[in-house]
Amino acid sequence: MFKELDPILHSQLRLAVMSLLIGVKEAEFTFIKDKTNSTAGNLSVQVQKLKDAGYINVSKQFKDNYPLTTCSITKQGIIAFEDYVNALQEYLQMAKK
Amino acid sequence: MSIEKKLTEKESLQLITEMIQKAKASHFHENGTSAILWGSVIGFCGLFSFFKMYYQLNVGGFDVWLLALFALVPQIFLAIKDARKNVVKTDIQLAMNAIWTVYGFSIFALIFYFNVVPHATTQLLANDNEQLLVKNLTTDVVNNWKPYIFSQSSLLILLYAIPTLSTGIARKFKPMLIGGLLCYVFFVISCFTATKYDMLLNGLAGIFSWLIPGLILRNRFNQAKEL
Repeated sequence: MFKELDPILHSQLRLAVMSLLIGVKEAEFTFIKDKTNSTAGNLSVQVQKLKDAGYINVSKQFKDNYPLTTCSITKQGIIAFEDYVNALQEYLQMAKK
Repeated sequence: MSIEKKLTEKESLQLITEMIQKAKASHFHENGTSAILWGSVIGFCGLFSFFKMYYQLNVGGFDVWLLALFALVPQIFLAIKDARKNVVKTDIQLAMNAIWTVYGFSIFALIFYFNVVPHATTQLLANDNEQLLVKNLTTDVVNNWKPYIFSQSSLLILLYAIPTLSTGIARKFKPMLIGGLLCYVFFVISCFTATKYDMLLNGLAGIFSWLIPGLILRNRFNQAKEL
């Protein structure tokens, strides 16, 4: 019986954001935007979805009078990401057989 | 990047790998400037002091180690600039910053100790109506003896080893790992050598711990920029 893939993570941009955040303590919105080659609008929507799911924290502050948005992964996000990767591996192993 | 595209399992794994690599490449972007700066300054000061003592050069009252104090200004400027450019933070980065900050405080504390303890010792002895004297065994002449910290450079070299080796181990960066281990070797040697050779070892410690690893980092940074 296959585990169902988490629909929140099984989307290209949201998965890319989570994969970036998994290895760092926190990252600025601009950094994520550059690395994922996404638009600010699109990324904002997806970041909000991840936040609503409790997978990431989003903090907004000011740096040199400019707004600064920083994202970091939550414990719940780490668990969800690990489950997602394990489920993917199961799928791929079954596909090989 | 579009969110509409349905990913296959294989594509998902590829995307995860690609993004983790991208994040990794971004936060290991040290350009080696600080290491080059400190390696050059400590290397120069150590070698200059050695040659000055070895050849008994007369340079007036000039203390070359003041250069290390002046090097703090560009270092602070670089630290602020780096902090502003930093768009991603990692736990290891925070730990490294903490280690190097504590190292900075410790160097100043040690220099404070070198300067204060001899005077304080003289004062404490005087309070007890005591004084240190030194006797020449050949002439039997007895003179006042001003206390000082023996082999000061050894302690400095030992302190260089701590952040260098920690960085080498944590970052898995071999040049700093070797530099840190060499500091321990130089420390042991300096316990048995005269001050002029301690200065030489101090300079070599700066070159091997920071200047060479810094140049390697700069080279990697330039290569990564070209890609």
